[in-house]
Amino acid sequence: MTNDEIFAKIQEKFPKIEKAAVQVKNYLTVRLASKDDLMAFAQCLKDSSFDMLETVTATDLLGPVDMKGYIRQQNFNPLLPEGATPQIEAAATPGYPYRPVMDLLWVFFSIKERARVFVRLEVPRENVSVPSLTPLFKSADWQERETFDLLGVRYEGHPNLVKILTPDFTQGHPLRKDYAHIKDRFDE
Amino acid sequence: MSNATLKSDQLFINLGPQHPSTHGVLRIGLTINGEVIVKAVPDIGYLHRGTEKLAEVRNYHHCVVLTDRWDYVSAMPNNLVFCLAAEKLMGVAATPRANALRVIMCEMNRVASHLLFFGTYGIDLGAYTPFLYAFREREMVLDLFEMLCGARLTYNYIRLGGVMVDASSEWLKRTMEFVEYFKPRLDEYDTLLTYNPIFMARTQGVGVVTAREAVDWALSGPNLRGSGVDHDVRRADPYCGYENYEFDVPLGKTGSCWDRYFCRVQEMRQSIRIIEQAIEKLPDGPFMASGVAKIPKPAPGEAYAHVEGSRGDLGIYLASDGGISPFRLHVHAPSFINLAMLQEKLVGMKVSDVIALLGSIDIVLGEVDR
Amino acid sequence: MTTPEPAAAAPKPVAPKYVPPEPVLNRQNGRLIEDRFSTWPTEVFKKRWSRPGYQRGAGMLVAIFVGLGLTGGLIGELAKRADGFYALLGSFAAAQGLPPLALDAGWIAIKVLIVLHIVLINGLWSIWWERKISAHIQSRVGPTYAGSPKGFNFHGWAQTAIDGIKLLLKEDVTPAAADKWVHALAPGLVIAPCIIAFAPVLFGDGLAAASLDIGTLYIFAFAGISVIGIVMAGWASGNKYSLLGGLRGAAQIVSYELPRGFSVVPILMFAGSLDLQVISNAQAGYWHGIIPRWFIFYPVVGQLAFVIFLISSVAETNRTPFDIPEAESELVSGFHTEYSGMKWSIFFLAEYAYVLLGSFLLATFFLGGGASPINALPFTWIPSWLWMLGKAMLMMFVFLWIRWTLPRFRVDQLMDFTWKFLLPWSFVNIAVAGLYLAYWLK
Repeated sequence: MTNDEIFAKIQEKFPKIEKAAVQVKNYLTVRLASKDDLMAFAQCLKDSSFDMLETVTATDLLGPVDMKGYIRQQNFNPLLPEGATPQIEAAATPGYPYRPVMDLLWVFFSIKERARVFVRLEVPRENVSVPSLTPLFKSADWQERETFDLLGVRYEGHPNLVKILTPDFTQGHPLRKDYAHIKDRFDE
Repeated sequence: MSNATLKSDQLFINLGPQHPSTHGVLRIGLTINGEVIVKAVPDIGYLHRGTEKLAEVRNYHHCVVLTDRWDYVSAMPNNLVFCLAAEKLMGVAATPRANALRVIMCEMNRVASHLLFFGTYGIDLGAYTPFLYAFREREMVLDLFEMLCGARLTYNYIRLGGVMVDASSEWLKRTMEFVEYFKPRLDEYDTLLTYNPIFMARTQGVGVVTAREAVDWALSGPNLRGSGVDHDVRRADPYCGYENYEFDVPLGKTGSCWDRYFCRVQEMRQSIRIIEQAIEKLPDGPFMASGVAKIPKPAPGEAYAHVEGSRGDLGIYLASDGGISPFRLHVHAPSFINLAMLQEKLVGMKVSDVIALLGSIDIVLGEVDR
Repeated sequence: MTTPEPAAAAPKPVAPKYVPPEPVLNRQNGRLIEDRFSTWPTEVFKKRWSRPGYQRGAGMLVAIFVGLGLTGGLIGELAKRADGFYALLGSFAAAQGLPPLALDAGWIAIKVLIVLHIVLINGLWSIWWERKISAHIQSRVGPTYAGSPKGFNFHGWAQTAIDGIKLLLKEDVTPAAADKWVHALAPGLVIAPCIIAFAPVLFGDGLAAASLDIGTLYIFAFAGISVIGIVMAGWASGNKYSLLGGLRGAAQIVSYELPRGFSVVPILMFAGSLDLQVISNAQAGYWHGIIPRWFIFYPVVGQLAFVIFLISSVAETNRTPFDIPEAESELVSGFHTEYSGMKWSIFFLAEYAYVLLGSFLLATFFLGGGASPINALPFTWIPSWLWMLGKAMLMMFVFLWIRWTLPRFRVDQLMDFTWKFLLPWSFVNIAVAGLYLAYWLK
C-alpha cells in the first residue's frame, strides 16, 4: 500500500485530517488541527488496523539549543586559550522556521498493512497539555512519561505521570531548547 | 489459633539496582506476599546519559560514537540505524559492498548478543554451564570484530556512507571458519539447555504475553515474535539489501518465556544463514560512498530509519534544521518499550519468575536509559 | 699533483618507507598474538610434563594421596585390633589409677578426632575437586596456578588451602541490623549436627566411630537439625533476602526429609536392621557368582529407591537443582548473604560434609558398602575401606555432575516434586518391597 492509498483510506474515515507540510521521508505524515481531535483520531486509527502505538515524542521548535544547558564548560579542550570561541556551537540556520511551538509526534504502526503513520500536532510550547493515549494503547505509558520528563509535555489522564529518566532532583526538562542547567547537589 | 491472632504482612524488597540478575542497574520495588508479588514498580534512569541531548551539539559523524553507547551489547545495529537515518537526510546511499558488510556485521552482532542472552538466561535460572559455552563462541565473534575494526564492544564501524574499513579476504575466510564451527554448537545448546525438563518447567507457561497484548505494549523483536506475531523489520521494511537474502523468521506459539528464548536461539541459525549468503555474494567495489562531507549539513527535513536490532525494532527519528548537528534525535529504543510491560506482568508472579521474565525480555540498560 | 676533488655531496638520506609489520595471527581464533597470551593457560601447558614445577606439584599431590591412604589404611588395619588397644589403654589407665570414665573419655576423644578430620579433610579435597570438575564440564581449565608460582603447580592442587587462608584473613562483617548472637551461632548450629551425624557412618567393614543399632535413624535425625541453623542465619542477618532464603530452606529440607526417609525403608526391610554394618553385610555375596547382591541391583525397587534417595540427598545439601535457599540469581545468596570470612566458609564446609555423608550413605545402602563389585581375586583383595571410599567418591562425582548441569527449580515446583512425585513413589516402593519379601526373598 502506498502512502497515498493509506492517506485516502484514513481520510475517508476521518475527513478532518490533512497531510503535513513537512513529510518524514518515505513515510506518511499527517497533521492534526487541534488537540481535541487526538483521541478520536487515535481511536479511528486503532479501528483501522493501526493498532500499535510505536513512538510518542515531541520536538521543541524554539531554536538552536541553549549551550548553557548542555555543557557546563564549553571550552573543554584545555589547549584552547581563555576566551576562545567555543568549540561546540549550535548556530541558528537562516531561513528555518523556528517558532515557539512544541511539535508533538505519534507514530502508529499497522502490522497487517506493514505501514506507518506519523501524526503531528503543533501546540504552543508553554504549559503544553494534550490528552494521554494510555486508555487506548498500553505502550503510551512509559513513552509519555519519558516525553514529560525530557520535554515537559503534560499528558492529561495519564495514570502515573512522573519523571522516569532524569533524577528526582533535576529541575527543568533537558530536551527543551531553552533548558539551562540549574545547580544541584552534585555541583561544587 | 484463629486468624485474628495470626498477623501477616506484606514485605517490600528492592530488587536492584545492585542485584546479580537485573542485567545492569535496573531497580524494581517489589511488594510481596510470601513468594507472590502484589505490586511491582520498575525504576530506571540510573544509566541516563542524555545522548539525545548530546547529539544536538555534535556533528553527524560524532553522533555515530554516541550510538555505540545505547545498546552496548550489540552496537553495530545502533551505528547502522543512525547512519541510515542520516543518509536519508543527506541523500547519500551506501555502496553495495558497504551494505553487504553492514549486513554481515549486524548479523554477527546479533549472534553475539543472543549468545550473551543465552548464557545469562541460563545463569538466571541457575544453570551456570551454558554461560561458559556461550562465551566461548562469543569471544570468537568479538575477536573477529577486533580483527576488523579494532574494538570489541563499541565499534563505531559503520560510518555515514559506508563502513570504516574494508574486510580482507583473510577476515572473510576466518568468518566462514567461525560459521562452520558455530553451526554444530547450536545443536549442543539445544541439548544443554533448550530441552532440559527443569528449564522448560521454569519457562513454559511463565510470563505469557498474548499476541494482542504484545501489540498493545508495542513490543518488538523476539518478544513480539515469541507471541506469534509475524513482524520482522528485515522483512517488512528491508534495508541494506536484506530482501536479497533468504532467511526465515522464527515465531513462538504461546508467548511464554520459553518461546521468546527459543525465538532467539532459532534466530542465531538464521543469522548464520544470512552471513553465509552475504559472504558468498559479497560484491566488489568501494566500501565508502563518495560525496559524504567532512561536516555534513543536510537540508532541513525529517527522516525516520529503523532496523531489526538484536533486541527489536530500533528506530531513529532525526530532524535537521540545516545546521551541522541534528536538530532533534529521538531513539525508538526497543528495550525501553519492552520493559514497560514489566509493571503489569509481574503482579501475581512468584519471586523466581521475576528473574525468568526479566531475563526473557532481554534488556540492556544502556538502551533503556540512553 | 692532484687537487682533491670536492667531496661528492653526501646523498640526501632517504627515510626508509615504512612497512607495517605483518600481523601474526593466532591460528585458532584469528586474534593477534601478543605478550599476554604467553600466559594463556592452554599455551603454557602444551608441554606441561617438561616443567619441573609441574612434576614437583604432581609429586606433592601423589605424596598427599599416598599419605592419606597410608593413614587411612593404618587406621583401618588398626581398627581390627581396636579391642586389644582398648584393653591396653584400660590396663594403662588402671596402672595410673585413673577412673574408668577417663578411659572412655580418652577413647571417645580419639574416635571423634578421626571423624572430625575426615569431615575437614573432605572439605579441603572436595572443593578442589568440584572446581576442577566444574571447570572441565564448562570447557575451562579451573585452578591452575595455586601452589607456588614456580615451584609446585600441579593443577592448582593447593587452591583450597590458599582459599582457606584468604577466608581466615577476611574481615568478619556483622551487619548493624543483625541479631549478633544468633548471627554468630548459626554457622555452628549448621555444622555441629553434621559432624555428630558422622558417628555411625560406615567407612569400611567394622570401621565406624560408634556402632549403633539405630544408626540410620540417628543420621537422619541429626542431619535434619541443621535446618534450624539455616533459619537462624536467615532470620538473624537482618536482610529480607536472607529471611526469604531461610524460610525457603526450612520448607525444602523438612519436605525432602520424608522421601529420603521412606526411600530407604525397603532397604531396611530387606536387611532387617537399622544398623549400617548389618545393612552392608546383607549385601555381601553374588548371584550366580557374578552379579553382586547389592540393593541397587534388586529389580525395580532397588533402582527406584536409589534414585529417590539420590534426589532427596541432593535436595538436603541445597545444591543446584534444589538450591532455592541460596538462589544466587534471585535472593543474591539467600541465607548466607550477610556472612563473610570463616563464618561463610563454615556453611560451605557443612555443605560439603553433607555431600560426603550422602555419598557414604548411598554407598552403604545401595552399592554394597565395602564389598567388591567383581568376584575375582585381585579385586577381592582390596580392603573394604578402599572400596567404600571409591564408591563414595563416585557418588560425590554424581553430586557434582548434577550440580553443574541442571538449572534450578522454582519453589512450588520443588514442593510439587517431593509431595506429588517422590513421596507417593516411595510408598509404592515400600509396597513392592513387601511383595518381594513375601514371595521372593522368603
